Amino acid sequence: MPEATVSLPSLLEPVTGGVREITVSGGTLREALADLLVREPRLRPHLFDETGGLREHVLCFHNGTNTRWLDHWDGPLSDGDAILFMQAVSGG
Amino acid sequence: MGVRLLVGTAKGGFWATSGDRRTWEVAGPFFKGWRVTTALRMKDGRVMAAVASDIYGPALQVTEDFERWEQLPAGPAYPEGGDRRFREIWTLKEKAGVLYAGVQDAGLFSSADGGASWRAVEGLNEHSTRGGWVPGAGGLCCHALLFGDDPGRMWCGISAVGVFRTDDGGKTWTPRNEGVPCAIEDKEHKGIGTCVHGLAQDPDDPNRLFRQDHLGMFRSADGGDRWERNEQGLPSGFGFPIEIDRATKTLFAIPQESDQHRLPAGGALRVFRSTDGGDSWRSASQGLPSRDFFGTVLRGAMAVDGLDPGGLYFGTSAGTLHASSDLGESWTNLPVALPRVLHVSAWTE
Repeated sequence: MPEATVSLPSLLEPVTGGVREITVSGGTLREALADLLVREPRLRPHLFDETGGLREHVLCFHNGTNTRWLDHWDGPLSDGDAILFMQAVSGG
Repeated sequence: MGVRLLVGTAKGGFWATSGDRRTWEVAGPFFKGWRVTTALRMKDGRVMAAVASDIYGPALQVTEDFERWEQLPAGPAYPEGGDRRFREIWTLKEKAGVLYAGVQDAGLFSSADGGASWRAVEGLNEHSTRGGWVPGAGGLCCHALLFGDDPGRMWCGISAVGVFRTDDGGKTWTPRNEGVPCAIEDKEHKGIGTCVHGLAQDPDDPNRLFRQDHLGMFRSADGGDRWERNEQGLPSGFGFPIEIDRATKTLFAIPQESDQHRLPAGGALRVFRSTDGGDSWRSASQGLPSRDFFGTVLRGAMAVDGLDPGGLYFGTSAGTLHASSDLGESWTNLPVALPRVLHVSAWTE
């Protein structure tokens, strides 16, 4: 099963006990994110909301592509892929 | 005996500790960048803090040593697919081994296993008047919870909705707002639309309640069945926090100029206290800024310590922190400039 590295913003350090990178595995991006929540279930309410989707101001990039621009999350995952979470900031 | 304050701000939590209640040490922030919205010293000695982020939402954190925190694996949650959002926790209470969390969007949750799992108090959250609940300026929040001597009796306060009481352990709840003017009238749902800002309770008679409301200061001698206005001596009926000293039953409030302006009247930071159960109020502000001060005190930002003489502590939206060890006779202004203060808890140690 391919493995990817999930990078988390510093604001989430209190959630993970200071861990900023988590290795996940899965055949697709969706499976990788599901694996992330298995490995660190405390992240769920901070990344996803009651809609079942990403929180409004949470961004997730897969190899540099904003996952909001993807039609679905079922594209294949490859070894060494990078999944980056960050916060959307508008205004100054 | 020393006192430890947990000061929750818009950008993290701070500790203020004192061995003599005159000199203070301030440390922090912890949860840097997160709002620390309320806290509870649990019966087992652990401290539970509620945190929230506009980006990442809310959570509950617990510490045993005031240094190392761990997020609880679960917290209050609304079901996926619904229209309610769990935005933050406004109050945490513990009674008879059960933890309670009052949250925004307004609702109440309980945990019988020390916070490991939480369940919705459906009798309140799905109340028949729910369709008429609308948010006030601070959001649709369940921010106050009191307990009666009877184990089945509880009161909760929801901003812009009012006070509800249960007499059967939370199964059913009834609005208890008679005598308080309605702030937002609903055509369909009656008994709600009052805007409770803060609640306090006589420690010896839990049915004797004190209510800082949007539209005035009120009290009830019968568990909220009827409320009467008690504002004599107050410069304004509008304010947010209300606290009571356990030993002397002295009441404390911090009025603001009006609901339109929401500023200290005349630029003076003034605490008002009542030593006669709310019959009359007088300023107890010696040592507080008497001019050019325009910070306000939010509903969760004042606390008493229960010592003798009683200590009173509060923080302001301007980030200032103030302490009295003599029931408000005199005040110390701590030399700090914190972010906007949302919450103050006071514990002896």
